[in-house]
Amino acid sequence: MSGDRGLPPLPDSRPLIVPDSAGLALAGWRCRDCAAPLALDGPWCPRCRGPLDTERFPLRGTVWASTILRVPLPGRPAPTALAYVDLDGGPRLLGHLAGPPAERLRAGTRVRGAGLSEHGDPLFEAIPEEAR
Amino acid sequence: MNVWVWGAGSSAFGKQPAESTASLVRLAVLEALRDAEVDQVDAVYVGTCFGEPGVAQRTLHRLGIAGLPITVLENACASSTHAFHEACAALEAGRHRQVLVVGVEHLTSRFTGALPVERRDHEGRAGLGLPALYAMSAAHYQDLFGLTDAELAAVSVKNHAHGVHNDRAQHRRAVTAEEVLASRMIADPLTLLQCCAISDGAAAVVVGDRRRGARDVPVLATAFGTGAAWGHDSPRVWGFDLVAQTAARAYQAAGVGIGDVDVLEVHDAFTIGEIVTLEALGMAPEGAGGRLALDGHTVLGGPQPVNPSGGLLSRGHPLGATGVAQIFEIVRQLRGQAGPRQVAGARIGLVETMGGGAGGVDGNACVVCLLGA
Repeated sequence: MSGDRGLPPLPDSRPLIVPDSAGLALAGWRCRDCAAPLALDGPWCPRCRGPLDTERFPLRGTVWASTILRVPLPGRPAPTALAYVDLDGGPRLLGHLAGPPAERLRAGTRVRGAGLSEHGDPLFEAIPEEAR
Repeated sequence: MNVWVWGAGSSAFGKQPAESTASLVRLAVLEALRDAEVDQVDAVYVGTCFGEPGVAQRTLHRLGIAGLPITVLENACASSTHAFHEACAALEAGRHRQVLVVGVEHLTSRFTGALPVERRDHEGRAGLGLPALYAMSAAHYQDLFGLTDAELAAVSVKNHAHGVHNDRAQHRRAVTAEEVLASRMIADPLTLLQCCAISDGAAAVVVGDRRRGARDVPVLATAFGTGAAWGHDSPRVWGFDLVAQTAARAYQAAGVGIGDVDVLEVHDAFTIGEIVTLEALGMAPEGAGGRLALDGHTVLGGPQPVNPSGGLLSRGHPLGATGVAQIFEIVRQLRGQAGPRQVAGARIGLVETMGGGAGGVDGNACVVCLLGA
């Protein structure tokens, strides 16, 4: 995504998604003292000031909430399907839902990573019953 | 608290591309000064979110208000309620005797549609817009607590009905639940008539110490807080805990509880916002706030009317102007000057404003004010 005409491109401040043995993973951190998982970089744990260790969190988790945004935003045509996903043992991550935006996923739906969107956002899809 | 609201003023709210921020501020300030029966103040506190640099000085010098301390604050939607809070604190500290508080925003010159979350922030960069942020709270409530579309719509129906009687409101048209639910889907489950509109406006109040005269409205307490971390271990929707904690401090300082409050102006930028806020203020248990509008508890004529002005949904939501506009309404209500939308016998009023949007925190800022006897 580029910035507005005449302005430099936006910095990419999103959490870092990297290839992993099982597909994609969030390259995050965990606090050595309070064990809080973090998606964003920082000099120390923002909750307890403890030291941080890097940790990979596979893109697998549970939907906290999701919606279909049906109006466009700058650089983002509508509709888009968004979800907050609580990664297993990891942080809450804002992602998009794979496939054509149709219906939101209910809270509690188990999801897994499904690649990256054309904008570079992590995509999630519901895990079929038989694969859970 | 030894602070009183001496006077209040407001421009009309709505899409006013032909008006400048200066002209809107001028309308609001002149009305507030006349209402307070003063023509000078000691200091000015201004709240604006996307405001133009120097907006206060450029406007106020033409009214002869210049060469005095002017402080401009930004805290998203709570910007001017925060300015009110700081003005009250400065008065309490004895720094000033009479202070002008202004809220102003001109959104039509900045946006044409849904407000994005700041695009340099990680969630804004990932495509999150404010309607989607609130919609996910609504979706979470539907999935966990069984909040219904009818309960969401009832908030919009109520606030639009209230706004019919507000000559400053952007939308002065009543709507039915069927219309609300049939309006265009913006972010599931929130439809267009459940989302506040882009708006331009300004509001102002004069606050000061005690003086002779019965029209001044006592400020019982103001509380201000910013959001703690919000993430994987936050079971509640964003903003809930921040409102609850801020309100608890305001209640304690004022020596009142939610049961003592006769009239409220709260942050209904989206229908779900009013529901969550009223729960956090203690009016209903978590997950049960959807019944309040549908059962008539918060309707004009009900036990605790909420947003008699029409709220953000009907009055419009020029971000920086909203907080002081809420105070303007409560002042009118407590003085018995609200005309056809008057809450009978209102003695204690509550204002709550929630500013949100920074990913990872439980809201940018919240202010809760208690005014009245």
